[in-house]
Amino acid sequence: MIHASFVDAIALPRVVWLRPNLIGLAFPLMKLLPARFIVRKALEEGELRPGGLIAETTSGTFGLALAMVARLGGHPLTLVSDPAIDAPLKRRLEDLGATVHIVREPGPTGGFQQARLAILEQVLAENPGSFCPRQYSNPHNPGSYAPCAEQLAHAAGAVDCLIGTVGSGGSVCGISSHLRRISPDLEVIGVDAHGSVLFGQSDAGSGRLLRGLGNSLMPPNVDHTAFDLVHWVGAAEAFLATRRLHSDHALYVGPTSGAAYLVADAWARENPDRLGAVIFPDEGHRYQDTVYDNAWLEAQGARLDVLPREPVEWEHPHDGNEPWAFFRWGRRSYDAVMARPGAGPRLVPA
Amino acid sequence: MQPALLVHPRGAAANPAPPPLRLAPDGDGFRVGHGEIHAHHGEIVQGMFYSSDGTVEHGLVTLPCTLFRTSVRFRPLRSGPLTVEPGDRARARAAARLTLDALGRTGWGGAIRIESNVPVQWGCGSSTTDVLATIRAVADAFGAVLDPAWIAGLAVAAETASDSLMFGPGRAVLFAQRRGRVLQDLGGPLPPVRVLGFNTEGEHGVATLSLPPVPYTLWEIEAYRTILGLLRRAVERQDAALMGRVATASTLIMQRHRPKRQMPELLHLASEAGALGVQVAHSGTVAGFLFAPGPAADAGIERARNGLDRLGVPASWEFSIDPAPHPADPS
Repeated sequence: MIHASFVDAIALPRVVWLRPNLIGLAFPLMKLLPARFIVRKALEEGELRPGGLIAETTSGTFGLALAMVARLGGHPLTLVSDPAIDAPLKRRLEDLGATVHIVREPGPTGGFQQARLAILEQVLAENPGSFCPRQYSNPHNPGSYAPCAEQLAHAAGAVDCLIGTVGSGGSVCGISSHLRRISPDLEVIGVDAHGSVLFGQSDAGSGRLLRGLGNSLMPPNVDHTAFDLVHWVGAAEAFLATRRLHSDHALYVGPTSGAAYLVADAWARENPDRLGAVIFPDEGHRYQDTVYDNAWLEAQGARLDVLPREPVEWEHPHDGNEPWAFFRWGRRSYDAVMARPGAGPRLVPA
Repeated sequence: MQPALLVHPRGAAANPAPPPLRLAPDGDGFRVGHGEIHAHHGEIVQGMFYSSDGTVEHGLVTLPCTLFRTSVRFRPLRSGPLTVEPGDRARARAAARLTLDALGRTGWGGAIRIESNVPVQWGCGSSTTDVLATIRAVADAFGAVLDPAWIAGLAVAAETASDSLMFGPGRAVLFAQRRGRVLQDLGGPLPPVRVLGFNTEGEHGVATLSLPPVPYTLWEIEAYRTILGLLRRAVERQDAALMGRVATASTLIMQRHRPKRQMPELLHLASEAGALGVQVAHSGTVAGFLFAPGPAADAGIERARNGLDRLGVPASWEFSIDPAPHPADPS
């Protein structure tokens, strides 16, 4: 078939076998699904006029997806980012016609995140009728993943387990909510980074080496009751798993995919009679000089000859300092988990 | 627009060639036409679905049921009134008029005689079977076999919304019931399955055509994507278990809009009895437990029957769907 656009052509993942009981969903750029759906719905609901300005704060792949969707849809786009954005991505965004506003100074409180939000609000205020997708709170983000659930249901029937990294709450919460219509018993495993607040850790001493998963703020789109199990994965373990995905399966993907693969591969070995699916959100080209560079890895203290071990079970999200750990979340709310007697204070920033 | 009088049924590679076109002579040599069709037992899925151009449409996939059927005889008259018996079947009469016009027999009359054992207002398509069997009978009187897509257009014109029975059980289709067109050909028959049917409202029913369209939420419309994706696989693999999941998922969404009595108890009973899923008439009162084909399900069906007794359901019945075309469906 001939697709209506390149975005339509690559929005859905390639579905590949990784083991006899494990399916990989390899997206070229997963965030195209929410970017496309959010813009489409904003137009339908009148929040965005044809040709209207779109503005968002992001330094990641959602910005790139939005830039592609906005360009094809004829919308000017302003992205507010910080110095952490890599130069090739910035060039690519600008080539797509986006205005990339780099915030140079962190805010007096809330760091770069807060400073970026302040600039974004200013841009929105100065441009009446402009639209902000707000991927962390817009319900059309998780809502956008139905075509992927449809694709998986058609390709694999009913899977027993879905494994994916959590960042905005879109992909894992969205895909699992749709799959549970046909498989109420679906097991859902979320993969988070250490120092992320999503499942109850503190982001104190931030500057996480492993980017693309986890969050310093709590996105309203994370539905904690979706998760049966949560894994925390260290940067080195995720990087090594990323490299193994490439060397074993020829899958050239980013470190979020590696983090998910580390957990999914262990699940598949422990559950030979069940069928799992794991989400790989993007490709590896952005990480040529980091995750795919041995010298860089060694400089970070991640040795390629050390294989990831088995995860350690924690009794609570605050327990221990093992690089790879898991916790039986049990489809509970955040507050229900944190209310455990003896648990520390809630660590979510206001 | 010219009617296609004689068209090979869709996907007809395995079907015999259609009979030759035998239009009756202009004299009084026409014959009595006969049309027959079986009913359905509600839907495997009903909801809103994306069409290829990105718009969303109401659509359904019916569960054919050979227990109930409608048979129609039509005696054409070159001039004179168009009468129907029983006299309250105005939609069948309208369908006959539309069919006569489509066949170029404008102004002709005739006598329609309907015999049917399809329960009325249970959601089994009683009105649609009247209409479809009548269209077939009228066409048959003139030796014409109409293409199912044409029949669909006539049926919707005659009764606002129509089921997809004209396509026969050999080919499951996602059908836009209010537009009278196929949204998606699922590529084969539904997988074989045994159905234990019953009426959730005792002997009562609902007037399905008077119900407004269900106001599905955005989330539900997106959810039907996954459900339809699974049904496509169920059809491709002839996997009754996957079809059971599809039916239950659609039933649970419909339960939020048009709740059936005792649904929690029914779902529990179905699971206890080892059923593959629960299907309902989405605009009607019948429901069915789906079981695996073959004798392995005998014990489960017996258990479910007893459970229905305990829940006070007055009657139940069993039928199977089978990929083999039914004699009532000409091909």
